Order: sequence, then structure tokens, then C-alpha cells
Amino acid sequence: MSNAAIVDHNVPPGEPPHIHHMDTPTAYGAAKLGMWLFLATEILLFAVMFCSFAIMRYYHLHEFHEASHHLDLRAGALNTAILLFSSYTAAVAVTKAQMGDNRGVVKNFTYSLLCGFGFLIVKSYEYTHKAHEGMFPFVWNSDFYHYKNFLGLYFCMTGLHALHVIIGMAIMFWYGIRPARNNRFSGKYYTPVELSALYWHLVDLIWIYLFPLLYLVG
Amino acid sequence: MLGLLGEQGSDFAHKVDYAHDVVTIISVVCTVLIVGVMLYFAVIYRQRNGKDHETPAIEGNNTLEVIWTVFPTLVCIWVAWLGYDSFVDLRTPPANAMEVNVTGRKWAWDFQYSNGKKTTSELVVPVGEPVKLIMTSRDVLHSFFVPVMRTKMDVIPGRYTQEWFRPIKTGDFQVFCTEYCGNEHSKMMARLKVLPRAEFERWLADDSEAKKLAAMKPSDMGKQLYVAKSCNTCHSLDGSPKVGPSWLKLYNRQGTLTNGQSYVADHNYIKESILNPSAKIVSGYSAGMMPSYDGQISDVEIESIIEFIKTVDGSQKIEPEVTLPKRQDAGASAASPADRGKALFQDSANACSGCHSIDGSRMSGPSFKGLWGRKEKLADGTEVSVDAAYIKESIWKPQAKVVAGYPPIMPGIYEGKLSEENINDIIEYIKTLQ
Amino acid sequence: MSAHASTAHGNDEVNYLNWKTGIWSWLTSTDHKRICFLYLFAIMIFFIGGGIAALIMRTELAFAGPTIIKDPHLYNILFTMHGVFMIFLFVVPGIPATLGNFLIPLMIGAKDVAFPRLNLFSFYVYVIGALIGGYAMLNPVDTGWTFYAPYSTTTNTSVSLMVFAAFVLGFSSILTGLNFIVTIHQLRAPGMTWMRLPVFVWASYATAVIQTVATPVVGMTLLLVIAERAFGAGIFDPTKGGDPVLMEHLFWFYSHPVVYIMVLPAFGVVGEIIPVFSRKPLFGYKMVVISSMAIAAVGFIVWAHHMFVAGISDFSAKFFSIVTFLVAIPTAVKVFNWVSTMYKGSISFKTPMLYAMAFVFLFMVAGTTGIYLAMLGVDVYYHDTYFVVAHFHYTIQGGAVIGLIAALHFWFPKMTGKIYSERMARIAFAFLFFGFNLTFIPQFILGMDGMPRRYYDYPVQYQTLHTISTIGAYLNGFGYTFALVNLLWTAKFGKVKAPRNPYNSTSLEWQTASPPVHENFETTPVVDHDPYNYGTHSHA
Repeated sequence: MSNAAIVDHNVPPGEPPHIHHMDTPTAYGAAKLGMWLFLATEILLFAVMFCSFAIMRYYHLHEFHEASHHLDLRAGALNTAILLFSSYTAAVAVTKAQMGDNRGVVKNFTYSLLCGFGFLIVKSYEYTHKAHEGMFPFVWNSDFYHYKNFLGLYFCMTGLHALHVIIGMAIMFWYGIRPARNNRFSGKYYTPVELSALYWHLVDLIWIYLFPLLYLVG
Repeated sequence: MLGLLGEQGSDFAHKVDYAHDVVTIISVVCTVLIVGVMLYFAVIYRQRNGKDHETPAIEGNNTLEVIWTVFPTLVCIWVAWLGYDSFVDLRTPPANAMEVNVTGRKWAWDFQYSNGKKTTSELVVPVGEPVKLIMTSRDVLHSFFVPVMRTKMDVIPGRYTQEWFRPIKTGDFQVFCTEYCGNEHSKMMARLKVLPRAEFERWLADDSEAKKLAAMKPSDMGKQLYVAKSCNTCHSLDGSPKVGPSWLKLYNRQGTLTNGQSYVADHNYIKESILNPSAKIVSGYSAGMMPSYDGQISDVEIESIIEFIKTVDGSQKIEPEVTLPKRQDAGASAASPADRGKALFQDSANACSGCHSIDGSRMSGPSFKGLWGRKEKLADGTEVSVDAAYIKESIWKPQAKVVAGYPPIMPGIYEGKLSEENINDIIEYIKTLQ
Repeated sequence: MSAHASTAHGNDEVNYLNWKTGIWSWLTSTDHKRICFLYLFAIMIFFIGGGIAALIMRTELAFAGPTIIKDPHLYNILFTMHGVFMIFLFVVPGIPATLGNFLIPLMIGAKDVAFPRLNLFSFYVYVIGALIGGYAMLNPVDTGWTFYAPYSTTTNTSVSLMVFAAFVLGFSSILTGLNFIVTIHQLRAPGMTWMRLPVFVWASYATAVIQTVATPVVGMTLLLVIAERAFGAGIFDPTKGGDPVLMEHLFWFYSHPVVYIMVLPAFGVVGEIIPVFSRKPLFGYKMVVISSMAIAAVGFIVWAHHMFVAGISDFSAKFFSIVTFLVAIPTAVKVFNWVSTMYKGSISFKTPMLYAMAFVFLFMVAGTTGIYLAMLGVDVYYHDTYFVVAHFHYTIQGGAVIGLIAALHFWFPKMTGKIYSERMARIAFAFLFFGFNLTFIPQFILGMDGMPRRYYDYPVQYQTLHTISTIGAYLNGFGYTFALVNLLWTAKFGKVKAPRNPYNSTSLEWQTASPPVHENFETTPVVDHDPYNYGTHSHA
């Protein structure tokens, strides 16, 4: 046998093959603990930028105030609403999975996915608008030079968040929708759905902090 | 106490050294004790004849654990307090401290006094009085470290930091840059010169150097500035590439920039490159290496540097000058032998003054003050009294008898360069320095 | 149980090394023991690379003035390369990713780590990071491994690529740490209670927590450096309104705890070796465990002791000085417990024990010199001098690297199923130990004389000590070469087969075949005693 990947045929169908050396409850606990730890590292990743934001705001209080007024408050509020709704449908998807309703999982995760797309469309609209105004990396207009500290952080934070939205959408599709269409989930096995939803909640949660910080407080 | 940190130059140095020595004693005692106990156990409880003997299953001892948790805690509290105590002085400059502005740049230190006097790479302060340095950087992080003063502070672009000290002795001391800042980091040193009060006042009021500069031919002034502004660190005069392009045949040179455009090194280009170095970088060199001289240099000075660059056209070899007043007529016209000796001593071509002081302060070589007739202990342990024969030998064959405590670094270039007559003049000059 | 593993039961000759063959079976293996070897070979490349860079630097510094390197820029590249290779590519993955991988499942009685595929994935993340770093060396970075702004945001060497490499490597480190935490929580064998875990597992657990919590911070900081360079985000560059000191804070928030990522596993190794060769239970097991966790916890709030002269306020300097002393206490407790373990033991001086005893000495030096650097007034003098260089080499080389070498010798029979030449190993040890001290003791004295670090050239009064240090560096390098060649040669050509339990140890990893079978134990072990079950209880 040349292929060394561990393929275990005794694993019940529907379970990922790599947990073959654990019983099901252990595997569930392990996966969940692992996910929570990973979420902690994600939060720490953003913590650096929150920290930098606090310090830069202290240095450039006036500029931060003014610059935040240049952000599109309505677009930000719309995006907040979109993400909140998508988090709700993701939570519903988990309940459906626990009930073994694979179609419900597909339906609700698709709603969340569409919301994700909506969020990205609004975000790219905001970015394009900023580029036109000359408040965008590589095309700084010197009139807005003193907003650079705020805008630099704004693009780093929202940019990284947008990247997380994309990753979250990929996870929901790959570990949620795709197996659910093959009826893989049941009341006994729904770990991937739960973990995908957890990740999506994190993406939402970070935005819940970003929105007031960038758009409202400034 | 132990004197591990060397010469003390400031009034708080002894406090730092005390803290240092206390912790040294504690450290050495603890290490010897613990390693000693370990080795003792290793010897007396060693396995014999390759067979294990019976061992007791001791799993721990709560009393011991408490003792060796509490004891280090107490020691740490004491030591932390010592460190804290020595630190408070370091960070509390007296209100009457004399302020000197310090600017770090790649790779030199600029100093400016309250009367406007500026120096580069040499900080002159009066002995016994507190000096506060207000420091900033023009480019990247630097750090201003004066070992004898036991003080150090990072120098940060965009903000001011400060450090202070009160010198307790006169002399010349070393200043290092201790925050890595690029290619010539290890050359970014300065000299701290501590003078007696009166001498310092005279030095501070003395603007003859500035006046002399102003009266000079522009190209000569540029030549002085080439060293004074540390241009020589990065730009050679002989065509060899250093961090920046050589000045040899620079004027009106044509070439390409890093962005592919071409340039002509004319008046405008050179002036722009001095004030805004990153604007146009010659292909093959790096941006960000040269600090901006904007605000550091006057238009007149820029003009004279350009005039100097014009003279570096390869028609004659030009040596940079380190000392300001160059004696063209060294030795020839001076009246007495001692005066001729003094002129030779000061002549930058001989550069005696680079290593030998005349005020008793210690430099790379023994001071000439009080040298005549002095008994010196040599590196090989023998003793010699300084007479004409010894001085002559030491000039012609510097490595023959090196005084203990000094490095054997004097070059053997003087045989053939200085005649017997010259040496006699120098000896007469040394005799006057009692 | 797969069919392949079942065939291993009746036959002692089938083990994890030979149950599948071919280079492909190694590169795609999710077996934690094989991944240990993948890491081992990868990190050794960088150990050798970083070591050569160090020797070139030491040769240059042997005499004042330019000697073999004519250009200071090249010297700056070399010390950056030395730092980046040794820290990010060698010591951080050092013990955790190699022996941690090999031993944790064996010591807790598991078949593998919790996420074997993730484990292999982290290895390839490491490889990608290493390749990016290697690519960055085409235009080598000259910032030093600390990447301080604004030097790093303005130099035109490939800093962006290099810090991205460090970011990717950090990701590998996070995933490894996460994997270990979950493994230790979820996969302990029946009867393996928390208080029966070997101290190496505890140390690895503390390490994994730091890896998971601290690494994202530096990752993000490095991304911000890239943003600064790419489009001038204005966070660290003062000419754009940024704050270079903020960069130092964020950098050290990771890079101080990283010291404990390096050295805690080595503490664990010493805690394993001393009881076995003393035939005594580890003295004060609970305190050793608590001190590991305490070091991990306190390690997070001491970072600014790297910045006493960086322009932070006096108040923060005082705070960080005091908390730094808190690290000294659990560390001292560990040393006391190791030494007490030897009391009334039956001590044999096999090579691992020699390394462990050397470790105690080297770490005493590292720890006590650390006290100087925690003291405010004294650190102002010592900051960025050779004293600091010597101190952290005692910690990282004398601690972490010696720990790794000790561990490689100690578990070598288990890993390869062979016994190395004791005589060769001892000769190598002698060179290593003597050379190491000869390298760095002169550097302490240089620091006392005020010699600043990262200097390509120096005033001539420092020359003698530099020359001695260079001689030591060559002896040290020879010692490492000798030790590693001895092990490598034995692994490949060695004839002496190792028994299951050559040291008569009572901890779990020795209770299976040497080398172990594919899924570690023939049957799931049930644990009913402590890991250091040595000596006889008195009945008095």
C-alpha cells in the first residue's frame, strides 16, 4: 500500500476519517475545544489592531473624529444588520442539524452565504467610493493626508475582517452545505455545522465591535 | 566594591555599581551553592559497581518548598529595591541642569548648546554640573550610551527623550550608539569631553571656528564640512563606493536613478539630495540610508560643499582633514625648538594629537603632560624612565617599549618622516608640558 | 484498528519506522512520530545555517577592524539571518514540534495527537514559511530579528517577505500548540489523571498555551509592518504619525513569552531525565507543575523589561521590573526541586544525565544574570550590550538547545530503536559544554566593559575577550557537529538494538516497543501509578 494516508474503513459513514482513534464523544469534545482555542487566537489577532487603534486615537484624537465622519454610516449600519441576520440563520442551521434536518441546514446556511455576499458588495462599494475620494491605500490624496492614521487602521481592520468573511463563507459551504446536501448530518453527528456556525458568529462578533469603533466613536 | 563596571564618571555611578555588586555576590554564592550541592549529591550518591542501590521514595517536602519559595522572594524584593533605588536618580534630573540638544542620525551625533553653538560627534560639558540631554532622531532609532556615566536612553524619531548625568571628573570618554541603526552602526560613536568649568566657558564662548569657516574660500569650507557633517562616513573622495556614491568626479556626472530616469549631478540635484536624500536615488544605491540635512545645514554651507565637490575632479589626490586649523608651515618658521615641536605635534600629517593628550587625560596613548622624566611601567613588566633616547625609540620604533595598559597600535610610519632634528623639537615641546 | 496495525501485534520487527516505506510515505504521514522526524530534519537545516552564520560573525569579530567581512551590511545580514533562523525556524519549533510531537501521545497513552491531519498540515505550513523566508534571503534582510520600526519600515531589503514568513511560521506554531492542548485534554489513557502526567507533558501544555495565546499578537504586528511598508498605514512610522515604541510593545508581547516557549519544554526534559538516572521520584512534583504554569502566566505581563531605555514612562518601567522578578521565583523552585531529586539517589552518569546536570549549571548562570537585567538601574547600563547577548545565549542555547540535545540522547533508543556510542556522546558533550562557556563568559565581561551589541567593528581594547570568545565558538560548533553526527550515524548504521526500556524507567513512553508500533501501544494502556515510581517506601 503506497498511499500512507490513514484510511479507516471501520469508521461509521458520515464521520471524518481522521478521528478514527477517538470515540465519538471524545472527537466531538476535541473538535469543539480546538475550535474555541482557534477562535481565541483570532480574537487576539484583532486585539492587536484594537490596541493600536486606541493608542493612535489618543495621539490623533481630532483627526480620528473628523476622519470617521468621512465613513458612510448608512453602509456600515446596513452591513451590521446583514451580519446580524446571517448570524441568526447560522444559529438556526445548527438547530436544524441537531434535528437531522439536512435540508434546513442547506437552506439556512445559504441565507448566511447570501448575506456574506451582500456584506462584501456593500464593503466593496465603500472601498471604491473611498478610492474615488483619494482616501485609499496607494492613491492617497494629499488633502486627506492627516486622516492617514485613521484610514490606515480602517483599511487594515476592515480588510482583515472582510478576509474572515470570505473564509467563513468558504467554511460554511465546504463543511456545512456540501455534506448536508449528501444528508451527512444527524442528531448524533453535527459537529462541522456547529463549528462552521461558531466561526461565523466570531466574524459577526468582530464586526459588532468594528462598526461602533470606526463609524460611530471615531 | 568590586569595580566590575570600570571607571565611574558620574555621581550616581557608584549607586548603580553598588546594586550591581550586591547582585553579583548573591548570584555567585547561589550558583556555587546549588551547583556545589548538586555535585556533592552526584559524588556521594553515585551508582557503585554499575548496580543500583536501594533509594527512598521521597516525593517532596512541604517545609522545604515553602522555604525555597519564600527565601528567593525576599531576596528578589531586596534586589528589586536596589535596582529601583539606583534608577530613580538616573531619571531625576535637577532643575538647574544645563540642557544640550542631541540629534541622532545615520550615523553621527549632533549637539547644539543654548547659545547656538553646534558640534558633531563631540559633546563638551563642564565637570561637576548636571547636564541634561534633550534627544531626538532624524531617521531611525538610536540609543545614546555613555558607559562611564552609567546612563543610556533610546533616541526616537518624532519624539523627545532625555537623560542626564553630573560628571565627577574631567577627561575624554566614549559614547556609543547602542540601538541598531544600519550599516555604520558600529561607527556611530562620539566623544564626551568633560572640561573644568572655566575652560568649558571659554570653549562655549569661542566662535572662532565658526568665524574661520565663514572667512574661508567656499571650497575649503566645504572640505571642512565634508568631515564635520560626517559626509565622509558614506561618500569617498577616491572613487571607491561606500554607502553612498563617491564624490570623485561627481559634479555634472550623468547616470540613471533607481526609478529608471536619468539624472545630472548639477547644483540642483546635489542640493536636493542633501535636503531630501530619498527623492532621487542613484541606481545601485539604497533609499533611506542618508538622513535629511534639512534644517541642519545652511544654504551657504550647501554652496560651499558643492564648490568642494567641484574640486574633487581627480586632478589631485585629496585627503580629508580632521582638525580644523591646518598648519601649512609646521616647524619651519617657528622661533624656539619647543614651538617647532608644538607645531609638529599639532600637524595633522603627524596626528600625534589623535592619541596623545597634553592635559593628562587618557587617550589611546600616554598623555604628554608630565611625560618627561616620568617612570613608566612597560607591558613586559620592566620599568623605564622617559628620556630623549626612549622618546626617540618610541617614535621611530613604536612597538619596542609599549607602556603597560596601552594597546600597541601606534603606526611605525615616523622613521624617515620625522628627522632627528624634528624629534629633538618634539622633546623640547614635551619638556614644556609639566 | 486497521489491518496494518494488527499485523504488528505478532511481530516485533514491524514498527512505525518500517510499517510503510518510501519517502512519500514519510512526507504524507499523519503519524505523530514520523512528523517528529520531518520537523527534526527541517529544523536542523536552519540550525546548521544559523550556526554557520554565527561562526562567520565570530570569525569577523575575532580581531578589531575588518577581517573576513569587508562590508558592514553583510555583517548585519548575517546577524539577522542568525537570529531569524535560530529563533523562528529552529528553537521555537525546536522541542515542541519534534519531541513534543513524538512524546506527548506516548506519555499520555494515546494513539496519536487529537488532529493528526492538522499536525501534518502545520508541518507544511512551517515548510511554506521556511521557503518564503529562504526566498526573502535573495535580498537579505538587515533589520535584526526584532524588525524594529522605523528601520524595518524604511530599509529597502525584503522585510515584507521575511516578516510574512515569520507570520506563516507563527501560524504553524499556533496550530501545533492548539493540537497539543486538545490532545492533553481529551486523549489521556484510562487512569492517566492530570496529576499523573509526566512533567514534560505539563511543560508542553504550558508551552502550548503560550504558543496559542501569544503568537497571534506578533503575527498581526508583523502584518501591520507589511501594511506600513506597502501603503504607509501610519501606525509605526513616526514620519507618518505612527509610534515606533508601540511596535516594540507589540513585538515583545510575543517575543518575551516566546522565550518560555523555548525553555519550558527543556525544563520538562530535565524533569524527566533526573529522576530516571537518580532512581528517585521527582522531588516536589506538584510544585514543579505549578511553577511551569506560573512561569507561563507571569511571562505574559513582563514584556516591557526589554524596553527600560526605550522611552517608556518611569511608572511602567518600575511595574515591569517588579513583575519580572516574579519569574525568578518559580524558576528557582524548579532548580531546587531538580537538585533535591538527586538526594539519596542512585545516580548514574549516562550522557543525558550529564546534559541535565550541565543544564542546571547553565541555567543558574542564565537565571542569575537575568536578575541584573530585571534591575532597573543596572539594566540601563547593560541594555543592548554583550552582557545581554551572553545572558540570552545562556538561556536559549544553554537552556533550550542543550535541553533538545539532552532529549535527543535520552529518547534516542525509543525513537530509533538503537543505542548510540556512550563514549562518543560524552566526548561531544565535553566539547559542547566547554566551548559554550568559553564563548559566552568573555561576553559577560565585554558587557561589563560596555561593549554594545550588533557592532561590526569595535574599539581595540575589547579585542582579547573577543578572540577568546571566537575560539570558544569553534569548540562549541565542533561539539554540536560531533554530537549530531554521532546520533545520525547510529540511527543509520548503528547495530546495537535498544530494548523496550533501556533505563528501566517507569513512565509510560518506555512501556511499549522500541521503536513503538504504528499506533504506539499494542493495547490501550491503563495507568495506575505516578510517572516517577522509583525507590522504596519506608514502613517506619
